[in-house]
Amino acid sequence: MSTARSGAPLPYSDPRHQSAEQFLVEEAHLLDTSDFEAWLGLMHPQIRYRMPVRVTAVKATDEAEVQTMDHFDEDWYSLSKRVQRFGTDYAWTEDPQSRIRHHVSNVRTFDGDDGELVVESAVLLYRSRGDRMAPSLLSAGRRDVLVSTPDGLRLRSRDIEIDESVLRTQNLAIFL
Amino acid sequence: MEPDVIDQVTASVRQGLIPAYLYNDAEVHELERARLFGRAWTFLAHESEIARPNDYVVRNIGDDSFLVTRDGDGQIHVMFNMCVHRGMQVCRAERGNARTFRCPYHAWTYKNDGQLAGLPFHVDAYGGEDGFIKEGQALLRAPSVATRNGMIFASLDPDAPDFETWLGDFAFYLDFYTGQSEAGMEFRGPQRWRVEANWKIGAENFMGDSYHTPHTHASVVDIELFGEPKPYKRKEGVLWNAGPAGGTTYKLPPGSDFRSGLAYVGYPDEMIDRMQHKLSGAQRALATEPGFMPSASTLFPNLSFVHNWPQTDADGRITPFISVRLWQPVGPGETEVYSWFCVAADAPEDYKAASYKAYLMCFGSSGMFEQDDVENWVSITTMAKGSMARNLLLNNRMGLTLDGEPIVGQFADFGGPGTAYQGFGEHNQRHWFSMWADLVSQPAPAREPIAFGMGETPA
Repeated sequence: MSTARSGAPLPYSDPRHQSAEQFLVEEAHLLDTSDFEAWLGLMHPQIRYRMPVRVTAVKATDEAEVQTMDHFDEDWYSLSKRVQRFGTDYAWTEDPQSRIRHHVSNVRTFDGDDGELVVESAVLLYRSRGDRMAPSLLSAGRRDVLVSTPDGLRLRSRDIEIDESVLRTQNLAIFL
Repeated sequence: MEPDVIDQVTASVRQGLIPAYLYNDAEVHELERARLFGRAWTFLAHESEIARPNDYVVRNIGDDSFLVTRDGDGQIHVMFNMCVHRGMQVCRAERGNARTFRCPYHAWTYKNDGQLAGLPFHVDAYGGEDGFIKEGQALLRAPSVATRNGMIFASLDPDAPDFETWLGDFAFYLDFYTGQSEAGMEFRGPQRWRVEANWKIGAENFMGDSYHTPHTHASVVDIELFGEPKPYKRKEGVLWNAGPAGGTTYKLPPGSDFRSGLAYVGYPDEMIDRMQHKLSGAQRALATEPGFMPSASTLFPNLSFVHNWPQTDADGRITPFISVRLWQPVGPGETEVYSWFCVAADAPEDYKAASYKAYLMCFGSSGMFEQDDVENWVSITTMAKGSMARNLLLNNRMGLTLDGEPIVGQFADFGGPGTAYQGFGEHNQRHWFSMWADLVSQPAPAREPIAFGMGETPA
């Protein structure tokens, strides 16, 4: 598995692009309706789900060289624990639940290795908590690798490029 | 804030009664900025974050931005990040590698040891040394700087107390977090995020609030991520305070000694060997029957530590992690959290990976413990803003009778220095607030004006 992509984006008329975009939209729907168990079902057993901490660096510096940390670096076990936690009666940070909406756009699909699809997208997460705090926004780019399985597409990897170095949301009790 | 109000407030917190508005009040924030952060020793960075020659990071103490650099010779410098000409922030990146820093405004250039190296048109514009004495000028230095276990601290007070004297017996406990190996520690991060919570709440919580763990963190026990915070186990822990710090511990299984205690929390043999060599006999005795393992702690005012040992894979592997975190006040009701992952530099690679995973799952911006904490602290801060909070005194007296006597005596068999109580109590939070009261009741340290280029070389 690699996130290498080749060639130009597939045309929007290509069924592979259409199935990839539909996957992302359906996935966002599951997250927005708190169906985390079903969302976990879209993960490949070897999922790697990663969101590095962004660093404010001078232009001449390759940001990747000064990144030392992630907000998320998850495998199936840790994602399943996060999902399991939301299912307990004690996950106070999401009880009452946030009102959230994942706005997914700018979807570009590429041929990947071994028949996989590499899919780039933008996501804007709107999160409103309680009745006193201002809502928060998280903007990010994503690069996903989707693999075909007999049960449909599954997410093999996700690299999230968050558009803030200092997050302005109280925690990441969310998925992007 | 009027002096008589300050007197009332400090007397009240010393009795364990906290005026609720202290958690969201502009005047209190200003008092803390001037009197507390204007004086206290504050953590900036770890040497491993600037490991190579010419590495730098930019960090804050309150509103003040500091450049923390390692020069070409390996020397570390802490300098106020403001151009001495017109006040521009000299370095606007947060980390990198540079021999010099050039101010974007008028191109004044400083070496990474702070020395002013370039001043365009010095002769044409100033008449050379006759108009601006460039020789020997440098960025303003942090008034006081000290290092311990590779951790770089600074104080804005040139007359700050001697760091080691001030640190006192906390040095004993600090080694469990950042003194595990002769090879030193690696700090990764920080994650940074802003929360609408007052900075004091997190500092107090990590210092001694073992009482919140069984309830706030019930979800992580429920999903079998971390077994220790069960109510009966948390109650067996000892709360210690020593020097300007305090912390929580978990009781180790009966019959534990240093090696078996560290193995119980998941350290591999080779790391235990190094800790056995590095730590003193007295330090090792902390884990000897009745043995205790340090968990969370806070070094006054705003530096906290955490050491937990969750399950990091589906096969049941237990792996400890260490995190260091700074509660940086942004305003009366807002805090920027800086959270680092720390690991012994010579730990096995597979251990480092598992420990990092343990950290990400439990603490930091996405951590499953942390998520529920912040929810509470934001709520406290919101509530503290209103009128009703002006005369409500929150009870911070757990562990004391109404007459002020401890409900249980000190725990005599504890192996560490300072005072120690077994069970729940707010002894450490009261200790924190007594230090807070000590600083906010004294006027801010006087500072002389410093002029640049006028014929005197600043200290």
